Amino acid sequence: QQTLPSQPPSRRQPQQPHVPPSVSEEPGGRGRQRGLQRLQISAGFQELSLADRGGRRRDFHDLGVNTRQAIEHVQESKTGSSGIMIKLTTNYFRLTSRPQWALYQYHVGYSPEMEARRLRSALLFQHEQLIGKTHAFDGSILFLPKKLGNKVTEVFSRTRNGEDVKITITLTNELPPTSPTCLQFYNIIFRRLLKMLNLQQIGRNYYNPSDPISIPNHRLMVWPGFTSSILQYEESIMLCTDVSHKVLRSETVLDFMYSLYYQVEEQRFRDACAKELIGLIVLTKYNNRTYRVDDIDWDANPQCTFRKADGSEISYVDYYKRQYNQEITDLNQPVLISQSRRKRGSMMPGPVVLIPELCFLTGLTEKMRNDFNMMKDLAVHTRLPPEQRQREIGRLIDYIRKDDNVQKELRDWGLSFDSNLLSFTGRVVQGEKILQSGNVFDYNPQFADWSKETRGAPLICAKPLDNWLLIYTRRNYDIANTLLQNLFKVTPSMGIRMNKATMIEVDDRTEAYLRVLQQSITPDTNIAVCVLSSSRKDKYDAIKKYLCTDCPIPSQCVIARSLSKPQTAMAIATKIALQMNCKMGGELWSVEIPLKQVMVVGIDCYHDTLSGKQSIAGFVASLNQTMTRWFSRCAVQSRGQELVDGLKACLQTALRDWYKWNKYLPSRIIVYRDGVGDGQLNTLVNYEVPQFLDCLKSVGKDYNPRLTVIVVKKRVNTRFFAQSGGALKNPPPGTVVDVEVTRPEWYDFFIVSQAVRNGCVAPTHYNVIYDTSKLKPDHIQRLTYKLCHMYYNWSGVIRVPAPCQYAHKLAFLVGQSVHREPNLLLSDRLYYL
Amino acid sequence: MDKNFQEEQFTGIIKFTPPLYKQRYQFIKDLVGKYKPKKVADLGCADCTLLWMLKFCNCIEVLAGLDICASVMKEKMHRLSPLPGDYLQPAERSLTVTLHHGSVAHKDPCMLGFDLVTCIELIEHLEQSELKKFPEVVFGFMAPSIVVISTPNSEFNPLLPGVTLFRHPDHKFEWNRAQFQSWALETARRYDYSVEFTGVGHPLTGMEKVGFCTQIGVFVRKYPQTTESAQSEKPTEAVYKTVFKAVYPSLKDEKYLQNAVVSEVIFTTQIIKRSLLDRLMSEHEECNDDPTERKSKFQPSMNRFSEDLGKARVEKSMEPFVNGNVVYIPLKTIFSFPKVNRLCGTFEKLHKLIAGKVTLSSDGSAVMFDTEHENEEN
Repeated sequence: QQTLPSQPPSRRQPQQPHVPPSVSEEPGGRGRQRGLQRLQISAGFQELSLADRGGRRRDFHDLGVNTRQAIEHVQESKTGSSGIMIKLTTNYFRLTSRPQWALYQYHVGYSPEMEARRLRSALLFQHEQLIGKTHAFDGSILFLPKKLGNKVTEVFSRTRNGEDVKITITLTNELPPTSPTCLQFYNIIFRRLLKMLNLQQIGRNYYNPSDPISIPNHRLMVWPGFTSSILQYEESIMLCTDVSHKVLRSETVLDFMYSLYYQVEEQRFRDACAKELIGLIVLTKYNNRTYRVDDIDWDANPQCTFRKADGSEISYVDYYKRQYNQEITDLNQPVLISQSRRKRGSMMPGPVVLIPELCFLTGLTEKMRNDFNMMKDLAVHTRLPPEQRQREIGRLIDYIRKDDNVQKELRDWGLSFDSNLLSFTGRVVQGEKILQSGNVFDYNPQFADWSKETRGAPLICAKPLDNWLLIYTRRNYDIANTLLQNLFKVTPSMGIRMNKATMIEVDDRTEAYLRVLQQSITPDTNIAVCVLSSSRKDKYDAIKKYLCTDCPIPSQCVIARSLSKPQTAMAIATKIALQMNCKMGGELWSVEIPLKQVMVVGIDCYHDTLSGKQSIAGFVASLNQTMTRWFSRCAVQSRGQELVDGLKACLQTALRDWYKWNKYLPSRIIVYRDGVGDGQLNTLVNYEVPQFLDCLKSVGKDYNPRLTVIVVKKRVNTRFFAQSGGALKNPPPGTVVDVEVTRPEWYDFFIVSQAVRNGCVAPTHYNVIYDTSKLKPDHIQRLTYKLCHMYYNWSGVIRVPAPCQYAHKLAFLVGQSVHREPNLLLSDRLYYL
Repeated sequence: MDKNFQEEQFTGIIKFTPPLYKQRYQFIKDLVGKYKPKKVADLGCADCTLLWMLKFCNCIEVLAGLDICASVMKEKMHRLSPLPGDYLQPAERSLTVTLHHGSVAHKDPCMLGFDLVTCIELIEHLEQSELKKFPEVVFGFMAPSIVVISTPNSEFNPLLPGVTLFRHPDHKFEWNRAQFQSWALETARRYDYSVEFTGVGHPLTGMEKVGFCTQIGVFVRKYPQTTESAQSEKPTEAVYKTVFKAVYPSLKDEKYLQNAVVSEVIFTTQIIKRSLLDRLMSEHEECNDDPTERKSKFQPSMNRFSEDLGKARVEKSMEPFVNGNVVYIPLKTIFSFPKVNRLCGTFEKLHKLIAGKVTLSSDGSAVMFDTEHENEEN
C-alpha cells in the first residue's frame, strides 16, 4: 500500500511562493506546458480585469485548477477503451488564429498619475496612429494584436486643462494563443461580438429579443439565445455554444402580487408573496440589471425616501420620475429588498430597494415548475430535438460569418472560427444486465428502462408487511381500500409477505394525522402509509418530520388524486410496493460489480433558497458488495459554516457501519461529489479532499484505503449528437466521451447514461479530482455507468450514479421538510425515497 | 466633443452641484418637458449621454445623434438599445434612435423635419470654416422649430482654477456674453428665429456680474414652416454614415399590438375560466360532503386591490357560462376589461386582432375553452 500525501498538490497558492510547480519530472502529458505558462503570467492573469459587466469576475470555468498532474496513472492517457465506436458531433467550434499569432500585453503608466479610467483611455487613444484601431484596454492593461516598435514607448498627451501627461507603454508579455490570459481575452472579445449582433445580455448569456416566443396562457415570454464560452480543450481552443432559453414574464412583480391576491386568503397573502417571490430574479424596467429578491418590506412604500449619493433625500416616486421618467402609479405597494452581493463602483454592497411595479419577473417559480401543463407548454419551445438544436447552434456561427462588423473585428485580431461543429469518435459501452434474485434480465438498451421486463419478478430482498398502518380521510376511504386491494394483488409475485393494514380514518388536519401516528405506532410497526387529500406541503412536512426524527419509522405518503385513475391503479400500486420495500430496507435488483471491498459514497447539497439560512449535505455510502444497501447521514450547516466538518463526521460513521456489516474496512473508497457550483472546484480540491484524507488517517494507523474523488456535474452546456445515416440523433445510453471536449488539465470524461423521449439528452460530466486507486480510466467509467443503474425509484438508467441521486433525495427531504438531521436508526434504509 | 468631462477636472475651488454637465442636460430635459417635441436631434452627441436621458421622455418618437467622432459614439451606443423590459411591455409610443457619423458643416436630409435640435458645448470645437457653415446647415437647412446652443462664457474663466486660455485644449475659441449674443442675434435675424439667452452655473455671490458659467441661447423659429415647400427645395444627397439604429417595440406596430392583445385576452379568460370552474366545483362539493375544505378560495376582498377583475364581473348579461365540457366567455366581457379596452379601442379592432389566434365560438361572439383536456392532469 502506498502512502498518501497529506494534501493534494495544488497549483495556485500565491501565499506559498516557495512551493515549486511540481511538473518538471515528466515530459509527455498534454497540457503540461500550459501549466507552466500559467504560473509565469499569473500576476497578469489576476490583474486582468477587462470586466464586461459589474466588475465581478468569478472563475466560472475553474481555470486555475490542475488536478490531473497529481494523478500518476493518467499522465500518459486518461482514455478508456471498451465499447463500440460511435461517430459524434458536438456543439463546439474550433477557434483558429493566424500562424505565429500572439497577443501583446502592455502595461500603461501615466505621469502624473491619472485616476479616472475614461480619462486614461482618452489620453491613450490620442495616439491611435501608434496603437491602431484594434485594441482592448481596461485602464492599465492594454492588449494589441501587434508588437510596437520598442519594448518601452513613451508618448505625451494633453488634458483639457492643458496639463501634459507622459504615457509609458511597456510590453509585459507576448502571449501564445493557448495562454490562460488569452482565453480570458477571447471570451471578452466574443462578448463584444455578441453585443455587436444586437443580442441582449441577461445574466451570463446572450439573447435575441426581437423574435420572442410568447406563451400567453401563463404570461410567459421565451427569448432564444446562446450560452458561450471559449476554453482550452483537449486538443484545441474551442467555442462551446448551446441554445439557451430565457424565460421572462410579461408581468411586473406588482401584477403578480395582484393576481396572487385573488388566489389566496387575505391573511395568507403576505406569506404567499414571500414564498413565491423570495429567491426569484427580477429584471428592472429602466435598466438592464437583474436582482435577486431577498425580502419584501411591507412597511415601506414608493413614497418613502432614501439618501442619494450626494446626500439629498428623495422619494422613490420622485427619483424614478426624474431619473427614468417612470411613473409609479400604485403608491401603496410594498418594496422589494435585494442584498447586493457585488460591489458597485465605490459603493459598499448594501441592500437595494426595488419597486414591484418597475420589476419584471424572470424564470419560473417553484409553483410553475410543478405545473404540469405549463411545463408541457414550455417544453414544446425549449426542448429541441437534436436536428433542430444543431441548426439553432449553427445559426450563431452564421450570424458571426454574415455580419461585416463582426468579421472585421475578428480579422483585426487575427482570429476566426471553424464553420462546422466538431466531430469525433466516442464509445458506447456494453449495456448492463439486471440481476434480480437469480434472474437475469435483458432489456432494450436504447430505452434504458426495464420496468416491463422485471414486472412481477421476485425481489432480491423483500421485507414483510406484517404490521403496518394505512391512514386516510373519510372522503378517501374508497381510494385507500382500493390501494390495499391492489397491493394484495401485486405483492405476492415480488415475494413480499403482506398482512392487512391497520386502517385508520382521520380528519383532514395536520394535527389529526400526527395524533393518530403518535397513538398507533408501536415498536413493531413496519411502515406508515398516509393517503393525503391534497399536495398541501405543510401536512406532508409535519408527517415526515415526525417520522424521521421523533418517531423514526419508514413512511409513505400518497396523494389521493394519483390513485384515483383506474387505468393506472395497478402500475401505481406496483411502484408504491417497490418504494415501500426499499424504505423498509429491502433490495430490488443489482448489476454485476466486479470491484471488491469498495465503498461508494455519494454527496449532494441542498441550499435553502427560501430562508437562505442553511445548507444540507446529503451523504450516502454503500454497505455491501452488490451496492444494494446504503448507509445515509446528512450534515446540516448554517450560513458561513464550512460543509466539510459535517462531511467528515458522515464519513466516519459510514466506515463504522461498513465495518459492522462486513467485519473489515473497505480497501477502496470512491466518492461521487455532486452539488459543486461553477468556480468551486478549487475549494473542493484544497479543503474537502484533505479533510477526507485526514478522516481516513484518523481511523487507524494501518488503515490506508485508496481514495477516488469524482466531481459530478449535470449542468453542462456540452451536447452530443450521434450521426446515424444523414440524420442526427441522441447518442445511445452508455456513450462515453473522454477525448476532444475534455480538459487537458483534468482527468475527466462525459457519460450519456439516460435516454430521453424528447429534446436532447444531456451528458453528465465526471471529473476525477483525486485518485490513488490506480484503477484504469476504463474501469472508473464502467463503474460509474453501472452505478447509474442502481437507483431504486426508477426501473431504468438515470443521469447520475445512484448514490448521488440518493444523496440528493435525502438532502431535499431534510432541507424541505425535516430541517434537522433525521434519526440515525433509519440510516441503513432508503427511507428518503 | 466629450463635454461631460469638463468640470470633473475643475474640482479645485468651484464645484457645481449637480455637476455643470448634468445641469445642461437637465436644462434640455426641462425644455423637452415644456415643448414636448416629437423629433429631437443632438449635434455633437459624443458618448450619447443626453440621448440616453432623452429616450425616457415619452413625447419623443425620433431621436438622432450626430458626431464627428464615430469611436466616441460607439463606445457606449448600446445603452440606446431597447431593454428587455421594452420588449416585455411594449410602449404606447414608437421610438427610433439613430446615430450618424458626420459634420455639422454638411447637410444631410436625415436631419430634416426635427422639432428640436440641441448643440451642447459644440460650437467652440468648430474650426472657423465650419463655424461659418454651421448657421446655414442648422438654421437654414435643418430649420427645426427650436435650436438650443450652449457654449462656455469666457468671462467666467478667471473663476476657474487652472484655466489659462481655454477650458479645453480642443476649443477653438471661447466667447464672452457680448460675442455670443451678437453672433446669435445675427444668426437669428438672418434665419427668422427669435432668441433668448440664459445659462447654467451661477457664479459665487459677489461675482454675479460675470454671468453664467455656460451660456445658452434658445432659438425659436418665428413662422411655422410649410413642410412640403421646405423639403422640396432641399434635394440633398446623404453624406452622413449611420452607425447605429434602434427601433423600439411599440404598440403602434401591429405585430406588438396583436401580441399584447392576444396575451391579455388569453390570460384574463384563463382567470375567468378557472374561477368559474372553481365555483362550479365548490357548489358541487357542497352538495356532497366536507364543506370545511376549500372555502373562499376565489373571493377576493376588494378594499385595497381593485383592479380589472372586479369591474369585469359586474354585468349579468355578459356572464361567462359552461356548456358540457366547453367554457364560453363572451367577447363583450373581454372587451369590458380596462386593459383590453385600452389596447383595442373598438370592439371591431379586438375582433380583428384576435382572429385566428384564439378559438372562438361558431358565431364569433365568445372565446371557447375545452375543459376536458385540463382535467386530465388533475
